[in-house]
Amino acid sequence: MNRTIFCSTVLMGVLVWTGCASSGVKNPSGVPVTRLNPDEQGFVAGTGIESQDLVAVADKMARSILAIPQIAQAPRPPVVVLDPVENKTRFPINKDIFLTRIRAQLNSRAAGKVIFLARDRMATLERERNLKREGAVTSASDPNLQEFQGADYFLTGTLEGLSTRTRAGTSDYILYTFQLIDARTSAIVWEDMAEVKKQGLEDAAYR
Amino acid sequence: MSTRRQGWAGSSATPGRGGRLEWCRVLLGARLGLCLGMILLGAIISAGCATSRPQGPPLTGDILVDGPRQIAEGPARDRVLWQYRTAAAAMRQGRFDLARSLLDDALLTLQGRYGPDPEARKARSLFRPESVKPFLGEPYERSMAWIYRGILYWRQGELDNARACFRSAEFEDSDAEEHTYVGDWVLPDYLDALATAKLGGDPSDALRRAGEHVRGATLPEPDPSVNTLIFIEFGPGPVKYAAGRYGEQLRFRTPPSPVQAARVTVGQVTVTAAPVDDVGYQATTRGGRVMDHVLGNKAVFKESTDAASDAAILGGAILATTGQGRKSAADEAGAALVLAGIAGKLLSAATVPEADTRAWDNLPRYLTFVQMRLPPGEHTAVIEFLDHSGRPLAGRTKTVHFRVPAHGRDTVLFVSDTSTTPQTQ
Repeated sequence: MNRTIFCSTVLMGVLVWTGCASSGVKNPSGVPVTRLNPDEQGFVAGTGIESQDLVAVADKMARSILAIPQIAQAPRPPVVVLDPVENKTRFPINKDIFLTRIRAQLNSRAAGKVIFLARDRMATLERERNLKREGAVTSASDPNLQEFQGADYFLTGTLEGLSTRTRAGTSDYILYTFQLIDARTSAIVWEDMAEVKKQGLEDAAYR
Repeated sequence: MSTRRQGWAGSSATPGRGGRLEWCRVLLGARLGLCLGMILLGAIISAGCATSRPQGPPLTGDILVDGPRQIAEGPARDRVLWQYRTAAAAMRQGRFDLARSLLDDALLTLQGRYGPDPEARKARSLFRPESVKPFLGEPYERSMAWIYRGILYWRQGELDNARACFRSAEFEDSDAEEHTYVGDWVLPDYLDALATAKLGGDPSDALRRAGEHVRGATLPEPDPSVNTLIFIEFGPGPVKYAAGRYGEQLRFRTPPSPVQAARVTVGQVTVTAAPVDDVGYQATTRGGRVMDHVLGNKAVFKESTDAASDAAILGGAILATTGQGRKSAADEAGAALVLAGIAGKLLSAATVPEADTRAWDNLPRYLTFVQMRLPPGEHTAVIEFLDHSGRPLAGRTKTVHFRVPAHGRDTVLFVSDTSTTPQTQ
């Protein structure tokens, strides 16, 4: 009988434990803010394009561009315009972020070797120029001269993906290719690539 | 057994046989009562704790009031569900910015579902219903979230991101148990082809896939020069329900739709659009889920535990009766069997095999679209929803005022048979 009581007590404990575990409060004490480097994978991860991919790809491209003769040995700094990358993957992304990081890296590490044009600010720039032409604001030079520069090169890229999904999980391969295109001849004077493959499997509750 | 007998003998040091027997009966009754009381107390505590799951705020019936409140204050496990519902409702009222932000957040959650998830693990445990897991939706629901987001990207002029969403919509449908029905949405593939053609690529592959799966409609060749796309949805979407003895089987029902087609008139141009995709078909043709096996196992456990408990209680009662209250092993074994049976009953009662029937309940049944090449300027589209015989259904006609720009992005309209009207998009 003592054993019976013991078993009953254990059973009751199990029931209490399982019952209370369903109280639905996750992380009742909260989760402290965790600062991560953008090139490391955090505890929240998917198989898509993430910050660590962006950092790795942009770093590689920036180093690669600086090494080419058209940049390294140019008699004057070539003028480059960013042309938005084309996203052919299954992941919607902020397409500008790759080129923005490459541009920022080139500007910060090789200041003066490349000049980027702010074509994405043309509306503002034209408005300012028109104000100068109308005499509404002062001008340090003759505002009637055309001083907006043309591009020597276009920097652009393509993101392509190959995705597989089976009962064993999801696999996403993404190929990042970037090109520097001569604006006068349309020749691709530089191209480099980076590739990332990720796999994951969700909990059986979602399969 | 001999040890237990010795224990009995040791505990019965009372003078006289009759008095000792009586004392044993009292003791047996007291201990049995104590044990049962403890078990019941445990069950009550367990049940008490189970009801402490956070509940959402009360509903008002207005989805655009309830949705944001449920997202902010309701259970975290239903957050994506309310984001889906609210986004669909917002799109039908022309509030595309709200829909975009809701879908972005929901899709971020959806894309981060890989790896161990303690909340999802609970859904697989015996004593929790499947609905404790954070809702992400069945594949047809996930696909619809991607399709809506793709339409919104197209409205923004981001064709490649729109195409990415349509590809993800197909991808969510790419792992069905029934391989015949893998990746068989039509609209996402066709829109993938159209976006690719507009971006200067080769649309043939996506177009071929769309052509293979289309039923009852004709797909036009992708024309990069079209500048107006009208996405139309109508009819009530699929409904989830639980079947099986314990509700462990997830099933779908597709209510009949009074609307069978849509007729779009812009100026002198009238186009009738038959359904291109059937959301009900997508819901019902995927076959089983891995989770169905988990729930099936739960149901088997519940059933077998219940049956075994019945047998134990019955057997224990018979044993105790045949023991006739003597300090025999039969009494003891009978009591133990009854206790074990009761414990088994509690275990069986605590096992929850019910399938999760939470559903994105404001989805449409049918999707279709119309594409046009319109001159720049102001236009008005009148969309009539047609019944089986091709007659417009009363009270469902929608009017949308829109503007086609001279250059730049396409004009993208979104119209549902439950949209508010008139709208300016």
